[in-house]
Amino acid sequence: MATAPSGAASWRKMQIPRPLQQLFNHFPLHTYDANPLPERSQYLTSSDLPTLYVFSTESDARLGLPSFNPGCLKWQTLLRLAKLDFHVLPSTNHASPTGSLPFLLPSRTTSPPTTPPLPIPASNLLAYARKQQQQPKNKSQSQPFPDLDSTLPARSQAYLSLITLSLRNAWLHALYLDPSHTRLLQDLYVRPASSSRSVQAALLYQLRRAAAEQIITSTGGKVVSLSPVNSAAGVDEEAVYAAARDALDALATLLRESRTGWAFGREEPGVFDATLFSYVHLMVEYMSDEGVAAEAAAGGGGGVALGRLVREAGDGELVRHRERMLRVAWPEWDGYRR
Amino acid sequence: MASSFGFGGSNAVTKAGTTSVNTAQTHMLDEHVLTPASINSIELHGAVNTRRSLLDHVLNPVVEEAAAQGTTLGQVLDHIGAATKKLARFDIFKEDGFSVFLSEAPRPDSGVPADRTELDISIRVKEKSRLVFSAGTDFGNTEGSAYTNAVARNVFGGAETLSVNASAGTRTRSAYNATLSAPVNGNPDLRLSAEALRSVTQKPWASHEEQLTGGNLRLAWLNENSDTHAVVYSAAWRQLTGLAATASPTVRADAGDSFKSSLTHTFTRDRRDNPMLPQSGYLLRSISELAGWGPLTGDVSFAKTEVEATGALPVSVPGVQGNSGVFVSGGFRMGVLYPLPLGYSLTGLTQPSRINDRFQLGGPTDVRGFKLGGLGPHDGVDAVGGDVYTAGSVNAYLPLPRTGPDSPLRLQLFANAGRLVAINSSTGKKSKEGNRKTLSMSSAAVLKGVGSALSELTNGVPSLAAGIGLVYAHPVARFELNFSLPLVQRKGEEGRKGFQVGVGINFL
Repeated sequence: MATAPSGAASWRKMQIPRPLQQLFNHFPLHTYDANPLPERSQYLTSSDLPTLYVFSTESDARLGLPSFNPGCLKWQTLLRLAKLDFHVLPSTNHASPTGSLPFLLPSRTTSPPTTPPLPIPASNLLAYARKQQQQPKNKSQSQPFPDLDSTLPARSQAYLSLITLSLRNAWLHALYLDPSHTRLLQDLYVRPASSSRSVQAALLYQLRRAAAEQIITSTGGKVVSLSPVNSAAGVDEEAVYAAARDALDALATLLRESRTGWAFGREEPGVFDATLFSYVHLMVEYMSDEGVAAEAAAGGGGGVALGRLVREAGDGELVRHRERMLRVAWPEWDGYRR
Repeated sequence: MASSFGFGGSNAVTKAGTTSVNTAQTHMLDEHVLTPASINSIELHGAVNTRRSLLDHVLNPVVEEAAAQGTTLGQVLDHIGAATKKLARFDIFKEDGFSVFLSEAPRPDSGVPADRTELDISIRVKEKSRLVFSAGTDFGNTEGSAYTNAVARNVFGGAETLSVNASAGTRTRSAYNATLSAPVNGNPDLRLSAEALRSVTQKPWASHEEQLTGGNLRLAWLNENSDTHAVVYSAAWRQLTGLAATASPTVRADAGDSFKSSLTHTFTRDRRDNPMLPQSGYLLRSISELAGWGPLTGDVSFAKTEVEATGALPVSVPGVQGNSGVFVSGGFRMGVLYPLPLGYSLTGLTQPSRINDRFQLGGPTDVRGFKLGGLGPHDGVDAVGGDVYTAGSVNAYLPLPRTGPDSPLRLQLFANAGRLVAINSSTGKKSKEGNRKTLSMSSAAVLKGVGSALSELTNGVPSLAAGIGLVYAHPVARFELNFSLPLVQRKGEEGRKGFQVGVGINFL
């Protein structure tokens, strides 16, 4: 099964003498049934549904609620829009074949786990979902599946980059580098990894450094020093939030121009709507607390509530878009946790 | 009467601590052994970098014991022999550098004749070089590596050793560690050491690598029966990462970080005549670990215990005088991992074990005839480990033609078997518990799971392999080349038909 190293492969090809091969065929003399898998494995991996590995909390995952990571949320939303039945498992980037979440693991097909399924990285999720829809048993609920590129105008790429650059940088800055969200960052990404204080401190440092590097490189800067930890030195904070404000305004205008309420006048929400929703939803959900932001502003911190920026953009089109998305993708959820 | 019997140099106490003297001198000494004696002074020469307080711990008792009434010269010599032996165990003096000189102390002129001989004792030592660098290649259990090592001996003059080690190998891709160890209370048999380490180890049998960053504090002692005990507190941040593309769901579910804080006790009684190819004697070892429970905290909590017993017996062959070189050996190992709830309670919600805490079994150094981690539960290609195991082996060793009984080369016939089982609350069929809401198990479910795993050990014939091979016992490692066939195995277990090479230190 495993991609054997070439050395091992050529070793395999070596001819085994026939009498020896005949001897080998007699062994083992007796084979019992397979050993059952350990408890943790049984519980986490024996679902009958495909499993989407995302950043999430255990309780949210059980209910299938939205992930707190924009990248994961985008794909989770898309799979829900595609009406694919799946199960959500909280995980970490270490588990992913690509180095980052999300990825999907199809359900086990064989009961003794001799050939476990291979993971499907995010980039192949649309193709997978489409294939699942075409399967006869799913035909009944067949629904035209959102298409990524063909139906969208060329300018969609420009709007997409507003999300993947401007909104992303603002989200990264607010969550990872803005000290007023330290608690949130720890609750979402650090504490679930380990209960040990020293491990948490190391992870927090690594996360912040990686976020600062991402922002600087994506805004065309070079990472000069490797110590932009708390201060985020080298990140032009005002520029990041100004770009986010402009991007939100432009996106609100885009939605206002749409007759259907979905981006580019589509009849149904698609990849673009899911991508937009993944940031807008998280900004509203986690960064609407004016108190925290004001406090941080008074203390000299950044203190920009991204949730407020979302509300102020245009005439509130983004907030309404988020609510529509929630109604379509999470019809059974009232939008409140606990 | 200047009967100064200064037997000096390397004749007197040739090797560290051996008070054996050659026959001529023994004869001479015999007359003196019973004469009363005490110590006037002890001088130690050559210990320029060693603190006096350390030497006092060893030499003061000698003086005090010799001060007692009725001490004979023989007893004084025994005490001195024991003291030099102790000094040698600090590992800061050269073994062949010890020499002891005795002379009768000059009596003060006015003094009344003493009723016993007052001795001036002079011990010469040579210190080992304080800084040693080395580089080379190493063989561990089924792995080869290259290393560089720097050892600073006697760092603060109290026989403290600082060792810094960096290595890169076939399985341990990189490892760095630094250890500072020191004798406690001037006792070379009681050592305290602190270690910091960082390593990246590939675990191809489960398609991942483990990065480990941590440290430990170890107190090790040798008791009067020369059994070794060690109590270790260790804290380690383990990161399961670098998964192969084909990694199984079980490994993916366990990927990420976990912190283990544990207390381990190890007991070893080694009565073998040769650790690499014992022809007689036995080895007992037990390892008990408590992780995460109570004040230990951390992310994982369990009690884990392992016992090992191996022994060898020479077999006399009719018609062969003395050692025939034929011998048999047997070994048995067993281990249990019992998941515990975090916190101080023994009942409560318990997290089932993770892959990096579970046991692995199979491979050329334990159950031969199986691949590394070839036994126990498998998820696809991955050996995912188990919570309970037993393994046993019987071996017969025959000398090869034209080699004597002392040759390190042997022909080996073996049969070994093992069983590795995981705790599972829904063995076989999906019970209603399969749909429970959390991963945690109740303590009752854990108890039931361990019980059924233990009874599963004896369900059917254990996975079994037998074969024949050559053993070569090099002083640093044992090499085996075996031809083996698996006789019984479980579906998914990976037997190895044909040849298998084993290099290691600790074989079953």
